[in-house]
Order: sequence, then structure tokens, then C-alpha cells
Amino acid sequence: MNTTPAENPDSGRPEAKPPAMPQSPHAPGPESEFSEADQIPVSGCFGSVDAILRHPKRILFQLRRGNSRETILVLIGVAIACALGYGLIIGLFSGGEQVFYAPVKIAAGLLLSALICLPSLYIFAALGGSKAGIEDVLGLLAGLLALTTILLIGLAPVAWIFSESTESVAMMGALHLAFWFVAVGFGLRFLHTGFKHTRLRANEGLSVWAIIFVAVALQMTTALRPILGTADTMLPKEKKFFLAHWADNLSSPSGARQQSAGREDYRQEPIVEEEGR
Amino acid sequence: MKTLVDSSIPDLRQLPALLRGEVELLGAWHREESGRRILFQIFVIFGGAGLFGAAIGAWRAPLQSLYLAFKLPLILILTTFFNGLVNGMLAPLLGLNIGFRQSSQLVLSSFAIAATILAGFSPIMLFLVWNAPVSDVSGVSFHVVLLTGIAAIAFAGVAANARLLDLLRVLAKDAKTARNVLFAWLAGNLFLGAQISWNLRPFIGSPEMEVEFLRDDAFSGNFYEAVLRVVGRLISGY
Repeated sequence: MNTTPAENPDSGRPEAKPPAMPQSPHAPGPESEFSEADQIPVSGCFGSVDAILRHPKRILFQLRRGNSRETILVLIGVAIACALGYGLIIGLFSGGEQVFYAPVKIAAGLLLSALICLPSLYIFAALGGSKAGIEDVLGLLAGLLALTTILLIGLAPVAWIFSESTESVAMMGALHLAFWFVAVGFGLRFLHTGFKHTRLRANEGLSVWAIIFVAVALQMTTALRPILGTADTMLPKEKKFFLAHWADNLSSPSGARQQSAGREDYRQEPIVEEEGR
Repeated sequence: MKTLVDSSIPDLRQLPALLRGEVELLGAWHREESGRRILFQIFVIFGGAGLFGAAIGAWRAPLQSLYLAFKLPLILILTTFFNGLVNGMLAPLLGLNIGFRQSSQLVLSSFAIAATILAGFSPIMLFLVWNAPVSDVSGVSFHVVLLTGIAAIAFAGVAANARLLDLLRVLAKDAKTARNVLFAWLAGNLFLGAQISWNLRPFIGSPEMEVEFLRDDAFSGNFYEAVLRVVGRLISGY
């Protein structure tokens, strides 16, 4: 910041000029935060997946110093691909149209949740003293999504085994949620680590944001239901909060097996239409 | 190569500095009176608080959304305007030697910070409203939307006032003076702000009542009389 006062030629009195605001495309940070190993460039999808699991600082360095836009696009691509893959496992439980709908809903829901929470992430980071610009924040959020979905893919075989061993929608719902919480926990850890390199002074805001993000994502699963189980329509006709939806599912029969023309279908309780809608 | 942004010209890119509380920079801005900066802050307040108001109002009806997009920033601006004289007088009386325009600029700064925070929350609020049924017989939706809105506004207010305190500390050079000025301004703004909010109701709007810009009895009675009546009913109920 330039704080040198300039003299007023008319009065001879020095005039204090307001300090100018520095502008840089990325948050500043000393190079010493990253070792030489951290500065090895990361390229391609597999390189990014390997780096985010084993050398996350390389991703952080690339987001800060390298071609961050390309890295962000790769991370988002990885997140979408992995979300579609995990969604397929979810869809296989119910079969039929859910094999196509579930992957799309999982991927779209994750991206929409991130988009909804992106402005508040920037706000909370700034309130905590972070020098991260909007591109830095987007990069870290993309990293969170990528790491979360990569871990879900890792858990996908486990989820598939359970889905072949039970007919209970509530049981499978709880299992997928538990896996999601584990995965997003690691994703949030990546986010926190990333923000530490942007001069973040206080973590409390990010912790609050984490709660908001989880709540939004959980509500998104209800807004896009059914993801497990089937219904007459692709999207619900009735608006519900996720706690109410879970309570309804837990209190109703877990799944009614139907036989129709030799096929066995698993159906949820039919969605009750609101009067007047 | 880094480029410098001239801090004397208001710019949306200066908002992150406001949020981070870069007090040396912000203190330098506020040592000067600037009509341009005041207009910029009003613009930010209308933009940010307007977005949040629109999101909340969307629960009741699109028209309510429009009304609240206008009313929420209006509460902040009117509070600053009507309290401008007394805030400008209290500051030097309590040891902070600034003018009327500067004191209004400082209060508007804190409202601009709050409005920016609310703008960040508006997509979340809109998502909540989109998921909340309107014709909810039990009233749960209404209360969820109301409480979430209040929580967001309260958070934005606390964060904004924390930044204002940082600013006042730079200008006052004395933590006690800065605290006294902040509390005096807060007391006045809360006192008047509650009344202006009362006059400008409804905000979210009950599903049983029509969508209106102002209630017919907007200017009969006041917020504190209403609170006393409720307290009286509660006490007499026991």
C-alpha cells in the first residue's frame, strides 16, 4: 500500500493520500508454504485424482499459482463423473427408470448445492480474513466436490453389496447418508486446509458454512426425490423439508414389494398430493 | 504484475476489503467525507438487502417479493437518515470528533457490510423458500422461513457491527471511545429501526392475509406499545 504523503503545491502542506488497494488475481501467500514436491504440476483427470488424494497441496498450489481455471474445470469434471457413477449404484437398488434418474439427480443436486452455497462461502471466508478471490473460492469448492465424490466412488462397491442384501429403502437411505457424511467430512477438511493458505484468521465462519452446506445438500436430496425407491413422477409434486420427509419414511412401511407380470418392483408410499394443487 | 485500484473511487471490488475489515485502508477512506462513497453504499444496501428481501418475500407471493426487495433496504436507509442528526451529535460528545456526513458514512458502511452478507445468503434463503410449502396448515413453514430470515439478519448485523467497531477504533485511537460510540449508535438505530420495521410491515406476510405493501393501520400505534400489549396479555393470562 502506498502511504507516502504528497505535498499540496498551493499550500505547501502535505496531503495524506488514501492508501491504494492492491489487486491481484490470486490470494497472496509466501512461496515457502509449499515445498518443491508440492509445486510439481498436476495434469489430467487421473493426475488430479491422484494428487487430491495423496498430494492435496499440489492441487492447492496449482489453484493458487498455476492455470487455476483448467484445474477447476478438471476438478468439476471429476466430481460430475464420480457423482454419476455413485448415482448409478443408488439407482440399481430400485431399478427401472431410477438407473437413469438417480445419477442425474445426484450429480445435479451436488452441483446445485455447491452453487447455492458459493456466495456465502466467499462471504464467510472474507469475514474470517481470507484474501481469497472468487476464483480461489471456486477452486477450493471444486476440490471439495471432487474429493467427496472420489471417496463415494471408493465406497460404491460397499454400497452395492448392501443394496443387493436388503429391500429396505430406509436402511439404504441411512447407509448412503452415512457414506456421504464421511466423504464430505474429508472434502471439508480439504477446504479448510486450502483456506489456511489464503491468510484465513478465524475458522468459525467456515464451520458455520459447513453446516449450511450440509443442510442445503440434505434438503436438495428431498427436493429431488425420489432418489431411492420409485414414484409416479420424476420429481415430487409436494414440497417438504428433509426432516419431515425422513420422519414420514421412517414411520411408513419400508418398502412394499409388488409383483406385476412376473416382475418384482419396490415402491415407496405414494406421494400424497396437496389439496388444491 | 499487480495493478492498483484507486481507493478514492468506490468500486464493488472494495467490498471484500470491507468484509475482511482491512481497517487501515477503511479508516483512510472514512477520514474524508465523500458523497460518492455514500451513494455507493446506498447502492450496495439496495442491491444486497434487496436481494435478500426478494428471496424471503418469494415465499408468500411474487408481489410480496417485490415489496420486500424495496422495504428491507428502505428500513436501513431510513434508520440512517432519521438518526443522522443524533448520531452525528453523539459521536463528538463521546470523544470521536467527526462530522455529520462522516458519521452517516460510517453507519452506512456497517449497513453496506450487512447488506453484502445478506446478498451472500440470498441463494440459500431462496432455496429454503422454494422448498417450504405456502399452504402449510400447521404454520411450520412460516416459522421456519421467519426464524431463518431473522437468524441471517442477526448474523449479518453482528458481523457488520464488529467491523464498525474495528473502524471506530482506528478513527478514535482509543478503544473505550470507539465502544461508547458504537453502543450509542446501536441503541439509537435499534430503537428507531424497530419502529420503522413496525410501520413498514408486513414482511413475510401471513398466508391468511392479503398481500399488501403496507397494512391499513401502519401508522397507528407503535412497536413498543404492541410489545407492551403482548406482555400484558401474557401476564394477565397467568
